[in-house]
Amino acid sequence: MNSMTGTVAWRAVWAALLWPCLLTAAMPLDCTEEQGSLYRCPSISQEKLLDRVIQHAELIYRVSEESCAMFEEMFVPFPLRLQRNQAGYSCITKALPIPSSKSEIQHISDKWLLHSVLMLVQSWIEPLVYLQTTLDRYENAPDMLLNKTKWVSDKLISLEQGVVVLIRKMLDEGMLTTTYNEHGLFQYDALPDMLESVMRDYTLISCFKKDAHKMEVFLKLLKCRQSDNYNCA
Amino acid sequence: MKKPSEAVLLLLLLFFAPHAKGTRFSPPGKPALTRCRSPEKETFTCWWEPGPDGGLTTTYALYYRKENSEAVYECPDYHTAGENSCFFNKNDTSIWVNYNITVVATNTLGSTFSDPVDIDVVYIVKPNPPEKLTVTVMEDKGWPFLRVSWEPPHKADTRSGWITLIYELRVKLEGEDDWEMHLAGQQKTFNIFSLRSGGTYHVQVRCKPDHGFWSEWSSTSYIKVPDYFHREKSAWILIMVFTAFIFLILTWLLHMNSHSLKHCILPPVPGPKIRGFDEKLLKNGKSEDIFSALVVSGFPPTMSSNCEDLLVEYLEVYVPDEHELMLEEGKDLHDHCLKSEGSTSDNDSGRGSCDSHTLLMDKCGEAKEQGRQTEQEERPVETQRHQKEWNEDTLPYAHEDTVSPDMSSGRVKTWPSVFCPLPQYSSSPPNHTSSLEIAKQHCLSDSLFPPGSTSSYLTHPGHSTKETLGPSRWEFSLSNKQPRSLHPQMQTRQQLQARSDINLSNVGCEQAPVGLLPPTARPTEYVEVQRVNEEDMVLLKPVASGRGCGDGCPRLRQAEDYSKVKGVNSDHTLLLQREVMGEEAERCPCQDQETNGETDSCITSSTVTTTQKPPACNYTAAAVQDKMAPTVSGYVDTASIFTLPTY
Repeated sequence: MNSMTGTVAWRAVWAALLWPCLLTAAMPLDCTEEQGSLYRCPSISQEKLLDRVIQHAELIYRVSEESCAMFEEMFVPFPLRLQRNQAGYSCITKALPIPSSKSEIQHISDKWLLHSVLMLVQSWIEPLVYLQTTLDRYENAPDMLLNKTKWVSDKLISLEQGVVVLIRKMLDEGMLTTTYNEHGLFQYDALPDMLESVMRDYTLISCFKKDAHKMEVFLKLLKCRQSDNYNCA
Repeated sequence: MKKPSEAVLLLLLLFFAPHAKGTRFSPPGKPALTRCRSPEKETFTCWWEPGPDGGLTTTYALYYRKENSEAVYECPDYHTAGENSCFFNKNDTSIWVNYNITVVATNTLGSTFSDPVDIDVVYIVKPNPPEKLTVTVMEDKGWPFLRVSWEPPHKADTRSGWITLIYELRVKLEGEDDWEMHLAGQQKTFNIFSLRSGGTYHVQVRCKPDHGFWSEWSSTSYIKVPDYFHREKSAWILIMVFTAFIFLILTWLLHMNSHSLKHCILPPVPGPKIRGFDEKLLKNGKSEDIFSALVVSGFPPTMSSNCEDLLVEYLEVYVPDEHELMLEEGKDLHDHCLKSEGSTSDNDSGRGSCDSHTLLMDKCGEAKEQGRQTEQEERPVETQRHQKEWNEDTLPYAHEDTVSPDMSSGRVKTWPSVFCPLPQYSSSPPNHTSSLEIAKQHCLSDSLFPPGSTSSYLTHPGHSTKETLGPSRWEFSLSNKQPRSLHPQMQTRQQLQARSDINLSNVGCEQAPVGLLPPTARPTEYVEVQRVNEEDMVLLKPVASGRGCGDGCPRLRQAEDYSKVKGVNSDHTLLLQREVMGEEAERCPCQDQETNGETDSCITSSTVTTTQKPPACNYTAAAVQDKMAPTVSGYVDTASIFTLPTY
């Protein structure tokens, strides 16, 4: 519990620090297209935006890692803990064309990196919402877990917005529609078995945690590519 | 029966033999994967712990299965990472992929599988310790600090951002047990402050990926901080040493000069003293020596000085109407206390000096006029002026009498004073006694005054008439000062102010400032102003005697001691009052003093001599004092007191 309180406090600090990022990400990003709008579009440099996006991704990963650990501790029986994919549930984003090895990643372009990140982000928005609903159905789900999952899902939306702006700035591309969301990766069927349900949720959380880490790594790689610093990390 | 037992034994042996063998040889125990680690998120290694081998050589194999794939692969490298390990190189490593790893122990009897372990490479990253740790001592405004710098482990690809490391270092002093931890974040340099001078420090650093495990501590780097001296401390030490040094010096000086400091802070009360008078001689009992010591050579002035000079004295001319000018003579201080000029205040006492026919009428009138004017005009000013004079002048001017404004009795008083710088006296008119006292004290302090010197300052050049009496106690401090402050016409006038120290004694005798105090009845004698010589010096001669001094001086002097100018009569004659005790007059060689051979000069000289010859003076003084004691108005003739014991 001490670790949980510590992590919660840490999250609070991070939330406080990233509060302006929330504002930034929540504001309409296409402010230049609106004529005579009342909003003052806060301009931000590309480097700063990238830094903030990376911070978002880091935070999301950290929270998801805590959620996963919490869930595993509470609901997953011990023998099954290390066999996440044993039940056959694969990650929903498995089919996405995302590089999975370092050599691949280092060879793809910035554009593909960003697009990969965007794909990941957009594909996880919906499942996280679902996760929230499922967790409510658990008998003794701790509030902290629920809060964390909720927080993550909210943050993910901001992250998506940030990545969209980043794409537009860096790649000079227009607004991208969330085409990937329509992929329908996620289909949920209610399962009668509690254990299976638990295992599915467990898989979901684990997969999200992994993908969050992917996003973070991609963005950091992108940052190092952007900066002239030889020894950037 | 032995055969059945033997058979049983054999059976037992046979039965148990295999069992015995079975305990020694068995399939291997279950191995266990202890850990898998990836140093740079590109390769990873797994280690396992072998179980009991069952007595037979056991081989171990590691099999793994990737996520969502049924293909089972065996460990590609069993040797790189050491014993009981499996090393996955870059080609075999996929990140964000779950590996299902199992270790199998196999021996001849069987094989045993370990529990499978699921790992994802990104979660098992434990980098190597940082490398090239360097520590240097640097200086920041005189204060040293350690600059620690390092390199990330060479395998970790931090350059591309593939792996992000954060660092932590720890420092401790040699000999201590507690490490001081510092989190350095992503930077590769760090400064450590607050070092101990001359200490040796141990420094270590480690790193951790943003999500992973801490590396091992790097090898220790040793650094010795050079001995540095706190500038502040050294400055303070210098200051303290310096202060202590100064303190010591001051203490020593104080100790050396403690006596003089005592004198400075608590000056000793001066006791009565006569210059030239040695107490020790008194104690020795050689009165001749004492008195000889008191004798001032050249005093009374013999032929060397002009008698007329000796006649210079302060003449305070007090002219109440125009007919009352009294000249009073003061006596020498050393002379016993003379009767105070009580006559000054008396309207009808001593007034006749000028009126006396014996006096030189012309001179008397002159003096009278002067006296009047001086009196009238100087009086109010005199007080202040006297004050000033006495404050300013170091010269022993015979101070003028503090004439009170209301004492406009028109008397002229001459105060023949001892040739000593007359002290200041208060300007308060009623305070005549004090003035006289002061005058007297003044005289006492310089009881013996060389005649020449007195004459020098007695003469006031360029001012009104001055009577310069030499060392005689008649000091006519002419109102040279007065003219300045007074009306210019005064300057033209001859203002004679004669004051004698005898008047001081007069104080005791109620004489007080001549003409100022209500005069007490006092026997007065009159001295005729014989003339005013060409130098505007008033020469006095005794009226009563009416004879020239000449050779008869001693006698005359004895009887006639004129120390006070009683007044100026209508004939402008200064009336000098002669003290009753005129014994001292006998001492004076009047011829010598008087150049004009006037009797008055003789008298003056006689008075002078009296001053110079204490014995006679003492004698007279003593006599005077006896008489004067009751009449003393608060003033003590210290001279007489002092001189009395000499007898």
